[in-house]
Amino acid sequence: MTGVFDNEFDLVKAFEKVKASGVQIEEVYTPYPIHEILEGMGKKTRITHAAFFYGLFGALAVLGGMYYAAVISWPLNFGGKPFNTFPSFLVVTIVATILIITLATLFTFSARAQIFPGKAAKIADPRATDNKFVIVINSETPEFEATSLEKLLKENGASEVY
Amino acid sequence: MYKTSIRGKLIEGDKSLSQISHEILAPIDAKTPRWWYIAMTVSLAMFGWGLYCKYITITQGIGTWGVNNTIGWGWAIINFVWWIGIGHAGTAFSIFLLILRQKWRTAINRAAEAMTVVAVFCASLFPLLHMGRPWLFFFIFPYPNTRGPLWVNFNSPLFWDFVAISAYMLISASFWYFGMVPDFATIRDTTKSKVKKAVYGFFAFGWTGSSKEWLRFEGLSFVLGGIAAVLVVSVHSIVSTDFAVSVEPGWHTTIFPPYFVVGAIFSGFAMVLTLVTLMRKLYKMNDFITDSHVDAVCRILVFISLIMGTAYLTEIFMAWYSGSQYEMYTFFQNRITGEYAFQFWAMFVFNALMPQLFWFKSVRKRLWIVFIISILINVGMWYERFNIVITSLSKNYLPANWASYSPSIIEIGFFVGTLGMFAAGVLLFFRYIPMIAVSEIKSVAKFNNEIQPTQHHE
Repeated sequence: MTGVFDNEFDLVKAFEKVKASGVQIEEVYTPYPIHEILEGMGKKTRITHAAFFYGLFGALAVLGGMYYAAVISWPLNFGGKPFNTFPSFLVVTIVATILIITLATLFTFSARAQIFPGKAAKIADPRATDNKFVIVINSETPEFEATSLEKLLKENGASEVY
Repeated sequence: MYKTSIRGKLIEGDKSLSQISHEILAPIDAKTPRWWYIAMTVSLAMFGWGLYCKYITITQGIGTWGVNNTIGWGWAIINFVWWIGIGHAGTAFSIFLLILRQKWRTAINRAAEAMTVVAVFCASLFPLLHMGRPWLFFFIFPYPNTRGPLWVNFNSPLFWDFVAISAYMLISASFWYFGMVPDFATIRDTTKSKVKKAVYGFFAFGWTGSSKEWLRFEGLSFVLGGIAAVLVVSVHSIVSTDFAVSVEPGWHTTIFPPYFVVGAIFSGFAMVLTLVTLMRKLYKMNDFITDSHVDAVCRILVFISLIMGTAYLTEIFMAWYSGSQYEMYTFFQNRITGEYAFQFWAMFVFNALMPQLFWFKSVRKRLWIVFIISILINVGMWYERFNIVITSLSKNYLPANWASYSPSIIEIGFFVGTLGMFAAGVLLFFRYIPMIAVSEIKSVAKFNNEIQPTQHHE
C-alpha cells in the first residue's frame, strides 16, 4: 500500500502512527532528507567510520610511499639535509589523504546506496522527487489490515492512498 | 536556526514545492534565448583564439611569450593564481557556510561550485603549458620509472602544487556532481521530453529519493564537507608556498599563506556575486536569490576587503620593520612608486578601498553597482597577482639582472581564451544544469505558507 502526502509534517505524523501500529514500512520516498524519517527507519550509516579508516590508511600509505622513495629507493643529498624530511612530507600527505578519502567515500556511497551510472531507477511514485512525500507499506506483514490502515493514513493527512 | 523574522525570507513568494522545482528547472525546458547564442558565439570565438595561441605555444615554444630570463613567470602564473583564487569560492561557499549552518547558502552554492570546477580547469592549463613540453607532464607523477629510478622532489612546492591542484579539481568536481544527482532525478521525473528523460535519467544514477539513499547521502555530504574545508585552506596555502619558499624580496614572507587564502576567497566571492546578479537579471531568479542573499555576500566582501587592506599594509610595514634594504626597495621603489606603481595602486584601490562602499545600504541595494564592484574586485585581484609575480622578479638582488616585462600577444590570447572557456562553461551550466540546488531549496521551504500540515477535523 502506498500513501502520498503533500508536506513533511503530515508525513512524519502518519509515519509515527503506522510504525506504532506494528506494520512494516518498506520505504519512504521524499524530495529532500527528513531527519525524523531517517532516524525512524532505524537504519544507520557507517560511512563516516569508513571515511576515517580510509583517511588513516591513506595517510600512512602516502607517508610510507614518500619515505620509501626518498630514503630507501633513491636517497638524494640536498645540501646535507636529512633524507627523511618529515615536516615537508606532511604537505603532500594532507592533500593526498583528502583526495583518497573523497574518492573512496564516494565509491562506498555508490556501492552502499546503489547509486551508480546506468542504474535504472525503481520509481515508486514519480512525484516523490518533485513535490510529494511517499510512504510504501509492506502488505505481507501479519498486522497488515487494508481498510484500517487506509483510514489511518487518510486521517493523518494523506492526499492519496493506493 | 534561521530566524525569518530577523533575516528576511529565504524564498520569496510563498511557493509550493512543485512551483520551486518548476521555476528553477524552467530554463532547462524552455527554448534557448537569443542572447544565449550571441554570448556563446563570443565566448567560443575567444576560446578559439586561445586555442590558436596554445597551438603556437606548443609548436614554437615559450619563446613566443614575453617572459625572459629574469621574469620567467609572466602572465601564465598570474592567471594561474587568479583562476585558482576564483575557483576557491565554490568550495569555500558551500563548506564554510555548511559548517556555520547558514541556510541561505542553498540558493547560491550550486552556481559557486560550478564556477569552481570551470575556473580550476582554466587555471590548470597555465602551469601545464608553462612547462614548455606539456606532453611530458607525466614526469611530475611520482612513479617508479626508467629514468634512474628518479623520483620527484617531495620538498618542492611545485610538486605540492601539482598534487593540490589535481586533488582540488577532482574533489570539487565530484562534490558538485553528487549534489546534483537528486536534481537530475527531479528533471527525469518531471520533464515531458523523452530525450531529456533518458539523458538526465542516466546522469541521475537511478536516484529515487528513498530514505536509504538520503541517509547515506547525508553521511557523504558530512564527510566531504568536513574534509574539503581543510582543502580550501591548504590548496591556496600551497600555491603561496610557490612564492614564499623562495628567497625573492617581497615573496619570502610568512604572511603569504593566509594572505593568499583570504585573497582567493575574496576574488571567488566577488565572482559568485557577478554570477548571481546575472542569474537574477537573465533568468529572473529573484525569488530564490533574494535581496538579502546579495546583501549577505556584500557584507562578507566588506569584511574580507578589510582583511586584504590589513594584509597590504602589514606587508609594507614589515618591509620597513625588517631593516632589509632589498625588501625596502621592492616595496617602496618598485611597488608603491616606480615602474609598476599603477598596478600596485589599482590593486589597493579595487581591493581595499572600493569594496568599502558596501558599508552603505544604498550601494548594496543597487544591483548594477554591486555588479560593477564585483567585476572590479576581480580586476583588482588580477593586479594583485601581477604585483606579486612581476615586481619581485623584475628587480631583485643583482641590478645586472634587472629586466622589464610586457606580455606578448600569444600570452594575452591564452588568457582571453580561458576567459572565453569560463564564459562558455557558465553558459552551458545556465542552460543544461539546474542552477540552484532544487532539493536543498525545498528543504528550507517548509516555513512557506503553502506547505503547512493539512487540517483534519472529524
